[in-house]
Amino acid sequence: MQASAETLAFLHDVRVFEAFADPDLVALTARLREHDLRRHQILFREGDRGDEMFIVRRGTILISKAVTGKVEQVLVRVEPFDFFGEMSLFDGSPRSATAQAETDVELLVLGRDSLQAMTETAPRAAAAFFYAMVQVFMERLRRSTQQVAEATRWGLEATGLDVEAR
Amino acid sequence: MPRPSPAKFELLVRRDGEDDFELRQVASVIGYLNSRPRRLDQASYEISELRSRVALTPGFILKNRTTDRFLLLSAQERFLWDQMDGSTSLQEIATAYVLKYGEFDFEIIPSLLHKLQRAQLLTFEPTSRLRAALARNRGRVIVKALELALTGLERIRISSHNVQPFFQALYRYGGFLLFTPIAAIACAVLAVLGAVAAFVLFHDLRDMLEGFGGHALRGILTVKLVFFASVALHQFVHGLAFYIDVTDIFMATRRARVITAVTGALVHLVLGAIAFIVAAQAPAGSFTQAFAAASGIIQWQALVVALYPFCFIEMDGYHVLVDVLGVPTLKSDAIAYTKRLLSGAGRMRQGREELLWIAYVVLSTLSVASFIAFNVWIIFSATH
Repeated sequence: MQASAETLAFLHDVRVFEAFADPDLVALTARLREHDLRRHQILFREGDRGDEMFIVRRGTILISKAVTGKVEQVLVRVEPFDFFGEMSLFDGSPRSATAQAETDVELLVLGRDSLQAMTETAPRAAAAFFYAMVQVFMERLRRSTQQVAEATRWGLEATGLDVEAR
Repeated sequence: MPRPSPAKFELLVRRDGEDDFELRQVASVIGYLNSRPRRLDQASYEISELRSRVALTPGFILKNRTTDRFLLLSAQERFLWDQMDGSTSLQEIATAYVLKYGEFDFEIIPSLLHKLQRAQLLTFEPTSRLRAALARNRGRVIVKALELALTGLERIRISSHNVQPFFQALYRYGGFLLFTPIAAIACAVLAVLGAVAAFVLFHDLRDMLEGFGGHALRGILTVKLVFFASVALHQFVHGLAFYIDVTDIFMATRRARVITAVTGALVHLVLGAIAFIVAAQAPAGSFTQAFAAASGIIQWQALVVALYPFCFIEMDGYHVLVDVLGVPTLKSDAIAYTKRLLSGAGRMRQGREELLWIAYVVLSTLSVASFIAFNVWIIFSATH
């Protein structure tokens, strides 16, 4: 895609590209692909194969995980400047959750080949990318831990279970 | 440390369309209100009245026979304990408590639950055994269809906003006239005149309904539309009698609750009487006469259905009955008791409650059968 000033300014505010120098960002932009979703369109389902990550440029993506039947738990809303789908980008594993557009959405797509190319041609940028990614992973791990605690609290409150009972 | 707000889940529920979905927030308090605490089997506990010359109020000793742990219960707690049968939700238990004692103590249920859990006298069951059973057999087409139908029914939400000031104003500027002795007398006079007209018309029912002969579709549609409008009017008068938000109607007096229940149904009495009088005055065999007579029959049927308590449906008459008897869980208790008797799991007993339960089930069964037979007879009379 074209490295317009607007796109470069947007990417500068994306967490994993914050430390990129302008030439690296221009090179990266050339490897990104645009992908639009209409409201409620599913991008991928839990269990699908995938090797791309997605950066939200406009709109909101819902990430949900199947619970039972037609019911899924909403794990997170991905807003502009944030990204998702990075786990399959790194290990090629099936998608761990479903991604669906809550509104009309514009995405930028980074494929595994593009990441590989960036690693070879711009190792400093790649290092910055991986460092930022690790920080994001840690934050998300903390949030998952909090969600587990919250789910436990929901169960205790809903049943009135007195775990302090002797 | 401030108490945290109730935990919530955000759930995405898919609809039949491929991508379509609905988002729902489910707070833990919803799960709590719908939980159904169940006391231990009767063989696992014993309860006896505590006789004391010192204590002014009666108390009860509840003993877990397995662990030999004791609890001292007040009369109110004993009442709540009796409700915890695994099929009554906490919300229903709280309602029963208010009906029994006329007030609500917001701490008594949670603190009793904690006490019972500590003494290992309580278990919890999931909210809907039916939904759990359906989920296990989802592979069958009929089960899936039933699940979809239930889900569809659960999604129906009827709500209204800011109607309380509207009804207050309506009552102040004329609505109160409906609740005066003159209105009661007018209602009684109309009922008598309607009954006389209906009696006169009854002999010529067949000729009269022939007025629909050339306009069957118009007849069915108009009668149905008028009936639906009268149901709306029924609810409207409930609103005038008390107020729209009935979540704390149990705080009102028993008389207020009974009046609220009865006044809505009286709409059908008045409309039915007017319809019969119109039918008696209309030209014999005309569409107007047939329409008015059919509307009269349906309105008075609606009156009976609304006020008659023995039909397995918790309508106005049922609420009056349980209020008068002081047995708020009559229907669920009666059905559970009968099921136990029919399956051989329980024995027939001669207590007041058991007699009430049996009477409710027998009368309701006979009434439903009679209602179906009566309607079949009406249709048969009109078509032969």
